[in-house]
Amino acid sequence: MRRRPRRDEGCFLRRPLGVFPRKRYPQFCMNAPSLFHFTFLLKEISTASWRPWMLRKQQFSLTRLPLFQAAGKKNSSNLLALNEADLKEQFVRGDGPGGQATNKTSNCVVLKHIPTGIVIKCHQTRSVEQNRKIAREILQEKVDLFYKGEDSDVFKEKKAAEKKKQEKKRRARENLERKKHFKEMQESDGK
Amino acid sequence: MRYLTRPLLVRFLGLSSRCVSVGLSQTKTLMLSPKQLSLRQSFSTRAGLVTAVDVVKYWQKVFETNGIPEAQESSEYIVSFVLGAKTLQSLNSKILCAPLTAVQQERIRQLSTKRLQRMPVQYVLGEWDFQDLTLKMRPPVFIPRPETEDLVSLVVEEGSQKCEEKNSGLLYPAAAPHPVILEIGCGSGAIALSLLCKLPQSRVIAVDKEKAAVDLTRENAQRLQLQDRIHILHHDVSSSSAKQLLPWGPVDFIVSNPPYVFYEDMAFLAPEIFRYEDLNALDGGDDGMKVIRTILALAPSLLKDSGSVFLEVDPRHPEMVENWLQTHPNWLLTLCAIHKDFCGKPRFLHIQKQSR
Repeated sequence: MRRRPRRDEGCFLRRPLGVFPRKRYPQFCMNAPSLFHFTFLLKEISTASWRPWMLRKQQFSLTRLPLFQAAGKKNSSNLLALNEADLKEQFVRGDGPGGQATNKTSNCVVLKHIPTGIVIKCHQTRSVEQNRKIAREILQEKVDLFYKGEDSDVFKEKKAAEKKKQEKKRRARENLERKKHFKEMQESDGK
Repeated sequence: MRYLTRPLLVRFLGLSSRCVSVGLSQTKTLMLSPKQLSLRQSFSTRAGLVTAVDVVKYWQKVFETNGIPEAQESSEYIVSFVLGAKTLQSLNSKILCAPLTAVQQERIRQLSTKRLQRMPVQYVLGEWDFQDLTLKMRPPVFIPRPETEDLVSLVVEEGSQKCEEKNSGLLYPAAAPHPVILEIGCGSGAIALSLLCKLPQSRVIAVDKEKAAVDLTRENAQRLQLQDRIHILHHDVSSSSAKQLLPWGPVDFIVSNPPYVFYEDMAFLAPEIFRYEDLNALDGGDDGMKVIRTILALAPSLLKDSGSVFLEVDPRHPEMVENWLQTHPNWLLTLCAIHKDFCGKPRFLHIQKQSR
């Protein structure tokens, strides 16, 4: 898939967006289905051929960046796109040198969506990268639900699943009743 | 002394109070230090069923009392592992509420005892995750750090882009190219095997000077069924001969997380690192550049034109590497990018070989 800088248009958020410096683009393109793929901005230090990369943000620093579109698990692009500029990410990594000199295992990722205040704490896996991806997926669903309410695909799928479950229970109950009734009939016939 | 109050536990878990149980089973005798014993006595108010959460809290307290860092994380990882999961958060509340068997508790005790000796959690469990792979870990082979996951993402991005460039503008695009990647210092095989998974057409030559690392990479490759696409060599790149690194000719990428710790910083390594990990995998000499220099010196003869070197380094190295390359213009290597890690520190270098 060809990478291109994502622009403001196509944003479904009702909140106004800021102006984004042209040099830096977040690149969230679809990789495997329903997974995000991070790429990075180049910090140019020579006049060698330029490629757009994104510098990873520091903890708590907000680089204003355009939107990205990603297909969520709901198998549609109907989920609201998450604006990376609205996200604040926190890692339990400490202030040490990092890299080889430390061996910290706290790979929990805390992701906050600033406009809505929704916070996701993800520690589903032992990989920071995977936790970041999953946190964004979950956050995207919650933000979609927040803004769209009952119109959200997330809500609709949940309702459908609940309905299915109720239906299954009802059928099981009916089956049980039928069997009970049949048994009673048999017993009364036998007498 | 009541160690953990019921309301706290309920709130922590968001569970109904029915799931909360108190006390530890009194059936086993454990070989505990005096500190642990007194904790145990104070914790058990009455005999009862023990849940995962109880055990996590118990061992967390033991680790804290014994000055083990990341007490909570260590305890959670160990208990989750015994329950067949990666993390506590990934377990559903049903399992968290269910009583643990005696076998499970004993297994947790065995693993926690190792952790009490400051063994890194990755070695305690014998496995760890790197991106979406689970790899075997064994001392003293170097444990992959989370920052290195970003290094893999960088190379994958570059590899995918090269494929687009080659195919774009062609009426009949050629078959996806087969990038050949050389990894210097493969350790457990984390970088090599991740690249093989994410670039399905690629082939990798993985090299390490330690036999234990070569063996572990081979084992991990076999577990992931990737052994056909990887050449694993036991070779020291600082020795003169580099010919055996080219079974498939010049390579598209050289990737490495070389030892880059400054000699003066080696004294400040945590016990988990200096007691159990191979220090040769960390020591980069006085300025941390010893192995980096070796790799850069070898790169021109190993790389194709426009090939790239991707290195993970110390935050102080980018400038040093740039200066070093400028003193060797005949190598035709240019530092074309510096990328930050997820903590915002300059961590990854992209060096490209200019085409003649």
